[in-house]
Amino acid sequence: MTQKELHNQRLVREAQKVVMQQHTRRHFIKESAMGLGALALGNLLGGCSTGSNNVFDATNPLAPKAAPFLGKAKSVIYLHMAGAPSQLEMFSYKPELAKLDGQDCPPSLLNGKKFAFIRGVPKMLGPQASFNRYGQSGTWVSENLPHLSTVIDDVAVLQAVTTDQFNHAPAQLLMHTGTPRLGRPSMGSWVTYGLGTENKNLPGFVVLTSGGNNPDAGKSVWGSGFLPSVYQGVQCRSEGDPVLFIKDPAGMDRDIRKASIDAINKVNEESYTEYQDPETLSRISQYELAYKMQISVPGVMDISTEPEYIHEMYGTKPGESCFANNVLLARKLVEKGVRFVQLFDWGWDTHGDSAGNAVDIGLKNKCRKIDRPITALLQDLKQRGLLDETLVVWGSEFGRTPMQENRDGKTMPFKGRDHHGEAFSMWMAGGGIKGGTTYGETDEIGYNIVSGKVETFDVQATILNQLGFDHEKFTYESQGRNFRLTDLSGKVIHDIIA
Amino acid sequence: MFLKPSKKLFYSSAVLIVLAITAVVIYPSDPIDYNTEVKPILNKKCITCHGGVKQEAGFSLLFEEEAFAPTKSGKPAIIKFKPEESELIRRLHLTDPEERMPYKHDPLTKEEIKILTTWIKEGAKWGSHWAYQKVKEPAVPSINDDWVNNNIDKYIVEKLEAEKLSPSKEADKATLLRRVSLDITGLPANKKIAAKYLNDPSDKAYENLVNDLMATPAYGEKWAALWLDLARYADTKGFEADRGRNIYKYRDWLIHAFNTDKPYNDFLTEQIAGDLLPNPSDAQYIATAFHRNTMNNDEGGTDNEEFRTAAVLDRVNTTWSAVMGTSFNCVQCHSHPYDPFKHDEYYKFMAFFNNTRDEDSPFENPVLRQYQGIDNVKFESVKKWLQQNAAPAAANYWITFLRTLQPSINAFQCDKFVNGANGWYATLRNNGTCNLKNVVLTGKSELLFKYASRVDKGVWRIYLDSLTGPLVKEVPVKNTGGGFVHTTTSLPDIKGTHTLYFKYYSPKIKNSTDDGILFEWFSFGNPFPAKEKPGYDSAYKYFNDLIMAGAETTPIMMDANEDLFRPTHVFERGSWLSKGKLVAPDVPAVLPSLPKNAPKNRLGLAMWLTDKNNPLVSRTLVNRLWEQLFGTGIVETLEDLGTQGLSPTHQTLLDYLSWQLMHTHNWSIKKTLKEILLSATYRQQSMFTKELLKKDPYNKLYARGPRVRLSAEQIRDQTLAVSTLLSPKMYGKSVMPYQPEGIWRSPYNGDAWKLSEGEDQYRRSLYTYFKRTAPYPSMLTFDGGAREVCVIRRIRTNTPLQALTSLNDSSYIIMARSFAKSMDKVNGSIEAKIKMGYEQMMYKPIAPAKLNVLTSLYESSLSKYQSNKKAATVLVSDSTLASPTNRAALVVVANAMLNLDEWLNKN
Repeated sequence: MTQKELHNQRLVREAQKVVMQQHTRRHFIKESAMGLGALALGNLLGGCSTGSNNVFDATNPLAPKAAPFLGKAKSVIYLHMAGAPSQLEMFSYKPELAKLDGQDCPPSLLNGKKFAFIRGVPKMLGPQASFNRYGQSGTWVSENLPHLSTVIDDVAVLQAVTTDQFNHAPAQLLMHTGTPRLGRPSMGSWVTYGLGTENKNLPGFVVLTSGGNNPDAGKSVWGSGFLPSVYQGVQCRSEGDPVLFIKDPAGMDRDIRKASIDAINKVNEESYTEYQDPETLSRISQYELAYKMQISVPGVMDISTEPEYIHEMYGTKPGESCFANNVLLARKLVEKGVRFVQLFDWGWDTHGDSAGNAVDIGLKNKCRKIDRPITALLQDLKQRGLLDETLVVWGSEFGRTPMQENRDGKTMPFKGRDHHGEAFSMWMAGGGIKGGTTYGETDEIGYNIVSGKVETFDVQATILNQLGFDHEKFTYESQGRNFRLTDLSGKVIHDIIA
Repeated sequence: MFLKPSKKLFYSSAVLIVLAITAVVIYPSDPIDYNTEVKPILNKKCITCHGGVKQEAGFSLLFEEEAFAPTKSGKPAIIKFKPEESELIRRLHLTDPEERMPYKHDPLTKEEIKILTTWIKEGAKWGSHWAYQKVKEPAVPSINDDWVNNNIDKYIVEKLEAEKLSPSKEADKATLLRRVSLDITGLPANKKIAAKYLNDPSDKAYENLVNDLMATPAYGEKWAALWLDLARYADTKGFEADRGRNIYKYRDWLIHAFNTDKPYNDFLTEQIAGDLLPNPSDAQYIATAFHRNTMNNDEGGTDNEEFRTAAVLDRVNTTWSAVMGTSFNCVQCHSHPYDPFKHDEYYKFMAFFNNTRDEDSPFENPVLRQYQGIDNVKFESVKKWLQQNAAPAAANYWITFLRTLQPSINAFQCDKFVNGANGWYATLRNNGTCNLKNVVLTGKSELLFKYASRVDKGVWRIYLDSLTGPLVKEVPVKNTGGGFVHTTTSLPDIKGTHTLYFKYYSPKIKNSTDDGILFEWFSFGNPFPAKEKPGYDSAYKYFNDLIMAGAETTPIMMDANEDLFRPTHVFERGSWLSKGKLVAPDVPAVLPSLPKNAPKNRLGLAMWLTDKNNPLVSRTLVNRLWEQLFGTGIVETLEDLGTQGLSPTHQTLLDYLSWQLMHTHNWSIKKTLKEILLSATYRQQSMFTKELLKKDPYNKLYARGPRVRLSAEQIRDQTLAVSTLLSPKMYGKSVMPYQPEGIWRSPYNGDAWKLSEGEDQYRRSLYTYFKRTAPYPSMLTFDGGAREVCVIRRIRTNTPLQALTSLNDSSYIIMARSFAKSMDKVNGSIEAKIKMGYEQMMYKPIAPAKLNVLTSLYESSLSKYQSNKKAATVLVSDSTLASPTNRAALVVVANAMLNLDEWLNKN
């Protein structure tokens, strides 16, 4: 049996298991000695009971659920470079731009355009990295990503992603929630709402941040919007408790904690006898679950137990707060059945206002920090047979201009580029994506799209598709209307699907 | 001639239809009711394709005039009194899936077809949804039942009897005490109030308790917390840097308004239009901050107009969802798909809000400036002088200017920069130019403006209508050393509205890219008045001092004068960039029109909202009050009383309460709440029975009292209270109680969570600093929203993260320590200590089984700590204790007690 057949078989088995569990659960409820007429007696609130097909079981909101159709991917690792890396120094090879370096930007590119910082007439800025073709596919990759170029045949590069937002916070919200405004559920929330999680001792949607700051749009990019709050991303941290309040209080050891949870649950059983409130039973199980999380989370979140060759591969340094550690954690979490792992790495906003924000200095350093761990992630997932069922997405909220930024019309101290939403690069790998593909094309300077345009909604539609959802049918009713992640748009990018 | 098969089908089915219709006609019954019988079928089966967004075949069932209008075929689909001629009915009977309706869906049931047919036969009488009809005085059911306490109960009993259920008996005193205390004040009752009630055997004891609780200041704090959700109150502006916003005075206004039981009509009027009331007080200005809780985006290069527009749309949506229980936001893009609101009507409504002076300014303009100390003395003195010496209009103009710095134009509205830029300011470099559009110059003889410069000998030239146009004025600008100053310059007599062009030049500027001048605002007007009157010099000096004085500021709503009037357009498909036709302020046609004397501004809007003919405002409020007490509204979907919301469980009761609110209680929230709290319905015990579990698991019939998990605020506040840590301090800037490191990490923002000192760590939760992009973790975990937009209803969840919070969060450990300490004050056995602690929590003795469990937890913890004194010392964290082991075991027990289900719920 080929790897693929094995993989499919596993997915089928999983789907069957879910159906069976649902059946058994019904059976259990029906036959339960407690005589609970319906276990789904929790506070079925929210938009969930307005006659729509919202599926929210308050007593077990994260129970694994089968997707509407058999998806290729079981889980997602989404690597978001907050701040918008320059596609022109990473994936978008533009030799013509080099020839224009230092010349005034032609007015045709500026008419009717609005920039975040460019004012007046800026100069063109040639690529600040050299490019080569790599792999069987001959995909162009810059010298800034020497490791990634070795696995590029597993990657499908999208060269013509576009957004209509040119500020970080709204653009990040658009990418992750389908609207530039606050208040809608994030992609990870949608996915955990739709699929639940396979490891009930861990959150279904985990967020890891690095680079010293949260993403510009704050926690809203992993918020649950109008979905029940149980689906919001749980931020796991590399300093302090990995999950907030997961550690026992100082001076209270694990045995005492266990004894006290047992006592709480025993008293709660008394309350249940008194009130017969099904919500009390649910609370008893949530306290048990909390204890299980206390036991399992720190272990999963501890990368120090990984073998040396893994650390070598990822470039991880246990104890530090860095992107590489988060990437390794992402692999561990997915391996343990976490549905959606969202990484944000801050510090890609290369305006040229400092060396750290220069496309020829700071950007290279940032690339160095992500290149090895991301490459290791793809290799490691592959060697564990997980790449087929794990969709890895790399991208950002927008790209950068082929012009050099001239903030307020002035010359900048370093080489930088302004925000550019018209065209930028992203990539996907694993989870049923056709490796070695390049999709979409921009003009000779990477300013406008020539073909293969991909909107943020298309990225979302494709991710949902790989997980087994038709993005047009995956809705939640709120305030009298059905909402979906892709709003009123979105096309699955079939050209990059295997 | 051939008959095509489909036509054949048509004829044969026509025969069937005639038969079917005849069948209906033979057996007449009660007339069909549009709202309860027809509309649900249309909404469920038809309106998706024949409604607001889609109007397949030119047929829509959303509005009456559309439903009876000719469709694409040229004929109406519904012919009144003639079902046999109505295409709508014919299509329901066909068998060809291409022609039969609903298209590609299951056919309607026989029963549904019968209803529609009879309805048309009876003349197809259209009706309006119940929630859009005026509240009429409802008849109170005549029920004779000893259980009944007041009219509310009669509505409840009527329905229970119909369902063959009986109500529960009254909850025991202790349970009721805790329930009603948490509901009225969000806190357990203090010892005095509790003891008075528990020791009072009279019939009046409970009513007195309600009165006592409502008289405590904690009442206002509890109910303000609810309104903070609706007002999307936060201490930061949202978006990227998520910088701080000084708007706590609005929170304090709410607390005070609830405590003084400000009638709900005034409560709304002041929040919607306090600034438009005659001679608005500071408090009335502050009330308008309700709609200044919208988010600001200060991020570099953002289009202020885009985010100003977003804020205005949010005000429209919030007004509808919070005050009128209607999801109006669909109408932003198209006519409402289910409810009778038209696309244009959204923008007519938006026009009420579109003329305010806020423009997504990073300075939050306009703000109310409240001067402090000596500055306030100066302000009062200028004010008095102006009132005594200037003409009333001029006096009012300048007093308002000192209070708000309005009318003025934000300099970032300048455009067309060459060698200059706009951001927070308008900056010009050497020979830099820009323009400022739509400046009304008629009758303006002086320009007051605020600027900064680091360059000597600067010259600012103002040209009329183009850079080559006539020179309006050449203004020498001083080197201010970089600080902002304000100054005036006189203007020549020019009539009309013009675009002004600005140019800056200085011979002293070194590089062409160095900043020459930064403008903050411009105010075109006339000189400070009454120059000839005594005291002018000192009044004018004070005036100038005050413009630059540091003042306490609160963002407020303020309308533009006619010079700065902003027209409102329909946005095509909801996009603010595609502006359609011009509209004037108005309310949707399906609802009562604006009262006759109402001005077409926010004040008129407030008059309309608080008119007793408005069908939505009173219903929305009483529904929300009910939800706060019972956990679920009479209409469960608080956000939508419209046709897409859930039906009310007790519609006549909802109307009764609305009527009472407006007509009997004169909009008093306290009186309305009291009526509900005194009902037997509220006072029932909350135990489920097997029968209730089966028949009414969600307690929609109210055969038992409410048992609901407490809100995030209630859980933290009652735990602070029982552990004797709670600070009674009211009002003031938001505080920062303990939160774990690293929660705040906003880019471009150095603000940090700075642990408050002393009692400020233990204030009630509504005083906790609320940062939109990183709310206080335990608030978020217990289902508090992020308040980015109006939080209409919190959806309660039950998750392990909640358990982890109340078990392990250091704040909760501190509370457990303090609670253990107070239990330890009881002399005697461990049982005695636990008994006392439990009674403080629940007002009643602990059941023996529970006591046994907790005592064994104590014993087992104690034996652990005896062999690990170090751990005990750490947990207890009290160096004054000789032996920490007993206390440590008691802290473990206290921590467990504060996690009990009965503690996290009201019972």
